[in-house]
Amino acid sequence: MNPLISAFEMGIQRSEIPPSKVCVVSDIPFEPDVAKGLGVDFFHTIRGRTVAFGTGMKLANPSLKVVPFVGDLMTLGGNHIVHAGRRNMELTVLCVNNFVYRKIALNYAPDVSSAFSPYSLFEEPFNVPHLANSCGALYTARWTALHVEEIADSVAEALNKKGFSVIEVLLPGPNFYTDITDIEAELLQFYYRNSEVKDGEKPKNVGILPDRKIVVGKFTDKERPTFIDVYNTQLPKQLGDKFTPYGA
Amino acid sequence: MKADSKNVKTGVYCVDGDVASGYGALAAGCRFIAGYPITPSTEAAEAFAQIAPSAGALFIQMEDELASIAAVVGASWAGVKTMTITSGPGYSLMMETIGFGAMVEAPFVLLNIQRAGPSTGVPTKTGQADMMQCRWGSAGDYEIIAISPDSPQEMFDYTIKAFNLSEIYRCPVMIMSDECVGHMTEKVVVPAANEIDLEPRRFYQGPADGYIPFKPDKDLVPKMAKAGDGMRLYVTSQLHDENGYPVNGSNYKRAFTRRLVDKIRLNKHRIIELREEETDDAEVVVISYGITSRVSARGIEKAREKGIKVGSLRLVTVFPFPDERIAALAEKVKAFVVPEINYGQIAYDVERCSAGKANVVVIPHGGSGVHQPKDILDAIEYAAGEDEKIKGIIEQKTLLERKVFQEGYVVRE
Amino acid sequence: MQNAEIKTKENMEEIHPLENLLRMDRIPHIWCPGCGIGLAVSAFAAAMEKANVDLSKVAIVSGIGCTGRVAGYVKLDSFHTTHGRPIAFATGIKLGNPDMKVVVFSGDGDLISIGGNHFIHAARRNVDMLVICVNNFIYAMTGGQVAPTTPLGAYATTSPFGCVETPFNIPYIADSSGAVYVARWTALHIRRLTNSMAEALNKRGFKCIEVIAPCAMYYSRINKLGDGLDMMRFYHDNSEVRNGEDTHNLDLAFQTKITVGKFVDRERPTYTDLYKKWLSELKDKNREG
Repeated sequence: MNPLISAFEMGIQRSEIPPSKVCVVSDIPFEPDVAKGLGVDFFHTIRGRTVAFGTGMKLANPSLKVVPFVGDLMTLGGNHIVHAGRRNMELTVLCVNNFVYRKIALNYAPDVSSAFSPYSLFEEPFNVPHLANSCGALYTARWTALHVEEIADSVAEALNKKGFSVIEVLLPGPNFYTDITDIEAELLQFYYRNSEVKDGEKPKNVGILPDRKIVVGKFTDKERPTFIDVYNTQLPKQLGDKFTPYGA
Repeated sequence: MKADSKNVKTGVYCVDGDVASGYGALAAGCRFIAGYPITPSTEAAEAFAQIAPSAGALFIQMEDELASIAAVVGASWAGVKTMTITSGPGYSLMMETIGFGAMVEAPFVLLNIQRAGPSTGVPTKTGQADMMQCRWGSAGDYEIIAISPDSPQEMFDYTIKAFNLSEIYRCPVMIMSDECVGHMTEKVVVPAANEIDLEPRRFYQGPADGYIPFKPDKDLVPKMAKAGDGMRLYVTSQLHDENGYPVNGSNYKRAFTRRLVDKIRLNKHRIIELREEETDDAEVVVISYGITSRVSARGIEKAREKGIKVGSLRLVTVFPFPDERIAALAEKVKAFVVPEINYGQIAYDVERCSAGKANVVVIPHGGSGVHQPKDILDAIEYAAGEDEKIKGIIEQKTLLERKVFQEGYVVRE
Repeated sequence: MQNAEIKTKENMEEIHPLENLLRMDRIPHIWCPGCGIGLAVSAFAAAMEKANVDLSKVAIVSGIGCTGRVAGYVKLDSFHTTHGRPIAFATGIKLGNPDMKVVVFSGDGDLISIGGNHFIHAARRNVDMLVICVNNFIYAMTGGQVAPTTPLGAYATTSPFGCVETPFNIPYIADSSGAVYVARWTALHIRRLTNSMAEALNKRGFKCIEVIAPCAMYYSRINKLGDGLDMMRFYHDNSEVRNGEDTHNLDLAFQTKITVGKFVDRERPTYTDLYKKWLSELKDKNREG
C-alpha cells in the first residue's frame, strides 16, 4: 500500500466534504481501483497542467472541491501554481516531492539509483512552502509520507478551507501512488527519522539543505477572500442589479 | 432547445467579427471562457468579459495559453459549455492540450483568429496559414471540425453552430477565422432567443453504477457525465478502454482511437456544409474559404462577364474535408482554382481529391493582406485556357508577388 | 596631440553621448508620448557606460510587448523572441557561451505571466543574467488588458468592472525563488536606477530590477489617472526609498504608496559554478574508481 493514499483517504473522511464532491486531478495516474476506492472523481491530465485544469473545473462548478496532485515538482506547472496562489483560487494542491532528494539521499544512501532525477544533482530545489506562501497561498504545510496522521489532518483542514492551500509531501522513489518497494520503504524511514516537526515555522526557513534536518509541519494558515468571493463582491458595485452572482 | 433570453443580446449591431463571436458564444450558452490576450483575437475576449457578468457567465484571463486551454478542458468536464480564444502562436502553444481534449472527448470550441506568420509574424494583419495545423497539429490520431466564417454575421451564427457541433460529437471545434473577418465591422443581427436553436449537452441519465463513460451510442458518441455527481469518474489522458481505464499490453484494443476518428469520418455527411454556385456546367471551380471567398466572389463575377463558365465552391466547414464532392466535381471540370492566404495548404487536399482528373491552380499569398480580384481573374483565365493536364499543383502568383519577385531568387550553382 | 582633429563649428557632429548604444536608424521609436519605457532604456544605456562592460559580449533579449521592443532599439546582440521565453532563451545563450553577459529586458506580462515559470526556475538555478522588468501594470501592446500586476480594483479591457485578482509582488517572488540582487525603482528615479543597473551588471547570479513606469495610453487613461507626467508626479509624491526592506512588505495596491530601493544583495553560487564543481567531482570520482 501507499501511505500517501491512505492518508489522503483519511483526510477526506475527516473533512466536512463528501467524497462525491472531491475531484482529484493528477498528472501521474492512480490505479483505477484506488481512485474508485477513494470515492472521488479522478482526472489524469497531461503533465504539468493539473492546477490549470483544476482552476477550470472549480470555476465551472464552484461547488466542487478540487485537489490537484502536482507530480512534476513545479517544472512544467510552476507558473500555474504561482498564479493560482495569487488569485487565491480555491484549490488544495498536493505537491508530491520524490526526486529532489536524490541530492541529499546520495550522501547517505549511495545505493539508490539517481536515474529518476529530472534535476541534475547540482541544482538547488525549490523551497515549495516558501514559494507558495510568497505567491499568496493561505495554507502551507510539509510532511513526509510516513506522517500519515498529520497528512490526514492537513488534508482535512485544507479541504475545509476556502482558499489556495499547498501541502508538500516527501515521498522518495519512482512510484508515486502505487505500492512501495523495499528500497523506497527504507528511504521513507530515513526521511521520517531525519525530519523534525516545527509547526508555525516561517516558510523561508524551511529550505531543504543537506546539512540539516528536514523541517516539516503546518507553516501558515491565513485568511483571504477567494477569487470567486472577490468577483461576487466587487462586480455588483459596478453593475448593481444587472449582476448575476457567480456560483450561487 | 432554445437559447436563454438572458444570454442573448437581441438587436441589430455594427460590430466587428471578434465581438460578434463573443456575443455568439454567450448566446450559445457558454458559461466560461478562459483566454489570454493575443492580437487580433483580443476583442472577442473583451466583449465576452463585458457581457458575461450580467448573464452569470465568467471570463478569466489566465497566465498563458497553456493554462487557458487546460482550464477550458477542465471546465468542460465539470459540465459547462466553454470556449477559448486565440491566434496563431497561442494556438501552437495549446496543441498538446487540444489533443488531450480530443482524447477524453471533452466538448469545447476554440476560436482562432489567424494572423500572418510564422512565429510572431505580423500580429495585426491577416493570414490563413493554420489550416493544416488545426487538422493535424497535436500528437496522435484524432479528428476535429473546422469552420471558416466569412463575415461578422457568420461569426455570430457559426459560433453558435460550433457549440452545437461540439456537443453532438464531443470533439474540439475550431472556428478558423482570420484577422480580416475578425476586425471587419459590419451589420450583425442578433435574433430573439427563441429563434436560436441549441444542442444541450448529452448527459447520462441513469444510476451511477450503470455508467460506462466511453461506451458509444449508435452515432459513435458516448453520453457524458460531469464531476461532482457522485459518478466516481476516472478520466485519463492515456489510451483507455470503455470504462476509462488505461489499457496495457494485455487488453490493448486498437478499436478505441479508431472511434475517435470514425465518429467524425462516418458522420461527415451530417457535418459538412458547403456553398456552391453555378458548378453544374462550370469549366473552372474556385474553391475558397474564409475571407478569400469574399474576394473570390468579385473575381468570379469579372470572369463570368468575360464569358468563362466559373463556379464557386465555398468551404464553410473546412474539416472534415469534402473529399467526395471535390472528386465528383473533378470528373466534370477542367480545373480548380484555390486562392489561399498561405503558400498552399488546402490546395494539396484538393489535388489529392481530384486525383489528376482536373488541374489544380493555387494562388498563394504570404499574408498581411488579401488577394486582389484581378489575381483570381488571372488564375481563372489561365485555368480555363490550359488544356493540358498538368500533374501536381500549378502556382499562379499574385500581381504583388510577381512585382516583388520579378527576378526570382538567385540560386548559386 | 598633433594628430588630434580640431573640432570647429563646421566639422563638429551632433552626436548624443549614448548613440553608440542605440540603433539610430530605427529611431524614432514606437512608444507613446508619456511612456516610461524610454526612460528605462536611457538608464540602461547610461548604466552600460558606467559599468564599463565589453559591449561585444553583451546580449539583450526581449519578449513580446511594448517593453519587448527594447531589444530592437539597443545596439548589442539583440534578440526579440517569442512571448514569455526571453529568460529561457537567455539561459541558452549563457550556457552556450558563458563569457557573454546576458540582459533580459521585458515587461511584466511577458516575464511574470506567461514567462512566470521560466522566471522562478532561472532564479532558483541562479543563472547568471540581469532581468529588467518594466512594470506598467497592464498589457499595453495588445490594447490594455489586465496583467498579473494590475492592482485590485483597477480597470482594464478584460476586467471592465475592476480587476478581481491581487497583483504580484515581483521583488518578493524573485527573492523567494532565490535571486541574488533584487531592486525596485520607478521611472522617476533615473539616477538610482542607473546605479542599480550598473551595480547589477557587474554582479554574478540572477538579478532582477523592477522598473515601475507609466503607461499613458492605457493604464492611466483607462483608470483616469492623467497622462505620463501626472503618473510621474504621483511617483514623486508617493514613493519612498527603503533600501534593505523585507520584500514581504512591498505589496502594491491601487494608487498607494510605492516602496522602492535595493532590497536584496547576496551571494550564491551560480548555475555554471555548481555545474563545473559537480563535473570536476565526477571526474575525480572516475579517476579514483
